[in-house]
Amino acid sequence: MMRKNRTWPIHLALITISMVMLIPFYWVLKTSVAGENIFAYPPSILPKDPHVFFFVDVWYFIPFVRYFFNSIFVVTIVIALNLVFNAMAGYALTKNFRGKKVVMLLLLSCMMIPFQATIIPAYLVTAKMGLLNSYIGLALPELSHIICILIFKASFDAVPKSLVEAARIDGVPEWKIIFKVMLPLSKSAIATNVILSFIWSWNQLLWPLIIIRDTEMQTIPLGLSYFLSYFEDTTGALYAFCVMALVPTIFVFLLAQRQFIEGLTSGATKE
Amino acid sequence: MATVELKNVIKRYGDLEVVHGVDLAIADKEFVVLVGPSGCGKSTILRMIAGLEDISDGEILIDDTVVNELEPKNRNIAMVFQDYALYPHLTVRQNMSFGLENHKIAKAEIGKRVADASVILGLEDYMDRKPRQLSGGQRQRVAMGRAIVRNPKVFLFDEPLSNLDAKLRGVMRTEIKKLHQRVATTVIFVTHDQVEAMTLADRVVVLKDGHVEQIGTPEEVYHTPASVFVAGFIGSPTMNFITGSVSSSGDSVRLADNFVLTPPEHWHAALAGRREVTVGIRPETFHVADAEDASVLDIKIDVVEPLGSDTMIFFKIDSAEAVARVVPKLGLRSGDTLSVSVDTQAIHFFDPENGQSLRGSEA
Repeated sequence: MMRKNRTWPIHLALITISMVMLIPFYWVLKTSVAGENIFAYPPSILPKDPHVFFFVDVWYFIPFVRYFFNSIFVVTIVIALNLVFNAMAGYALTKNFRGKKVVMLLLLSCMMIPFQATIIPAYLVTAKMGLLNSYIGLALPELSHIICILIFKASFDAVPKSLVEAARIDGVPEWKIIFKVMLPLSKSAIATNVILSFIWSWNQLLWPLIIIRDTEMQTIPLGLSYFLSYFEDTTGALYAFCVMALVPTIFVFLLAQRQFIEGLTSGATKE
Repeated sequence: MATVELKNVIKRYGDLEVVHGVDLAIADKEFVVLVGPSGCGKSTILRMIAGLEDISDGEILIDDTVVNELEPKNRNIAMVFQDYALYPHLTVRQNMSFGLENHKIAKAEIGKRVADASVILGLEDYMDRKPRQLSGGQRQRVAMGRAIVRNPKVFLFDEPLSNLDAKLRGVMRTEIKKLHQRVATTVIFVTHDQVEAMTLADRVVVLKDGHVEQIGTPEEVYHTPASVFVAGFIGSPTMNFITGSVSSSGDSVRLADNFVLTPPEHWHAALAGRREVTVGIRPETFHVADAEDASVLDIKIDVVEPLGSDTMIFFKIDSAEAVARVVPKLGLRSGDTLSVSVDTQAIHFFDPENGQSLRGSEA
């Protein structure tokens, strides 16, 4: 009882803050089923005459399914290759080698360069490789993220060195050490990689806008921007579109949230 | 056959030399224990033999083949680590077979070897458990099982018992000894515990500050220590060291006003001409004085520690602290006085300057 008495004010504060954070999401959801003008005054808390027709509209009147499939396909490539490349790079950074500090410094410096600054060379490279207007081209700049490499490094650093040494004595090849020893012991880093690479790839607008010419190849954010510019007075449908685009992100996050939080804080404390 | 030889092996980290030219020859099927305090380089030497550390200078040979440049996997060794190094996500069975899967060994053969090892180590009932579901002793057995299934030429143990409690340590010590008799393979075992070294080893290598202080059988390092360091490190309670004044002819050493030792004749030449010497007396070398003792020391007991089988008494010889092991039936108490003497055949003399035994400088 004593403990409960002491923790309820914290819980109350956290619930209040969570509610405040959830208000925009609720507003999007409410508008998606009611289609009301979002600037209406006084605002109504509950939706008037809720229905699902806006969702049906989005599903049938624009190629939502196609956008959705494109996004899922690209995101799958991005997640799979992120795991492979980031785990390999993170493992390399747990080793001591000449110039390691320079490599770390370079990686950290590169994190400060915004994607917009590298977009022209990225476009030229992609074009040279003949990957414009393709799924691989869409995934290419997202295939590895420095922050995810560092998350893997932190997680691998926490694995006892003796495990790697035992594997080396047993003749286990390095690739197998990464994928059979390190990765199974780094579930939180995997979850973090999955969520972050999912969100960044799922929400990517600028890159598809530049390299995709074909409507068939458009991803969800691109579809949303076209939707905004070509349809008028579609408040309800627009918000229904947003909800449909958000669902996979929320689903992935909920699936891996516990490991995700562990992953972001791993290495912060000494175990 | 698996011999291991170290020739002038040196390890440097940058400018810092931590292992200074170690020479050691280990015979086939020999159980050698590297023992010494923390930082003496024993684990570094073991890791160099395993191939986990580069050798800065010198040569390591396994079966007369120089292995300096060989990868650990090509040295045909197996190692048991201090923290067991078990893969937490794999079962006992998978832990034991994981290493074999990379050596192109048929699955049936792997299964047979794992089953055999599980019988040797009494792990049959735990094969499908994960390491976290095992006790410390069982984990240690799994770690040994993982080494056994490899059929290596050399077993390396890096302080494998230091994470266990005292009782289990004793049990596992016996198991390791039995295992060595059963598999009859060369074993190199690292520990900081002199009891482990004495009980397990065919030969003990005592290390200090990156160099070898003495190599010998447990009896040799105990009864004829090469230096004050070895004499103090091996044996519990530790040897008493008292500064004594030597007579000009070297035939008597005065420890206190009325306490003069007469060293056996073979020490006389080494002692002659010295003014002072460090006298080493093991606790069991003291005995309660009787009429036959030429010189007797009257002591006042400061502390009594009964151990059951023996009793330790702590006292002072002049200002130096000393401990003696006596039979418990004397019923001694703190503050009692007692007359003791020393078995002069079992005392040691060391150079007070460099700590080396004077046995080597005998005439």
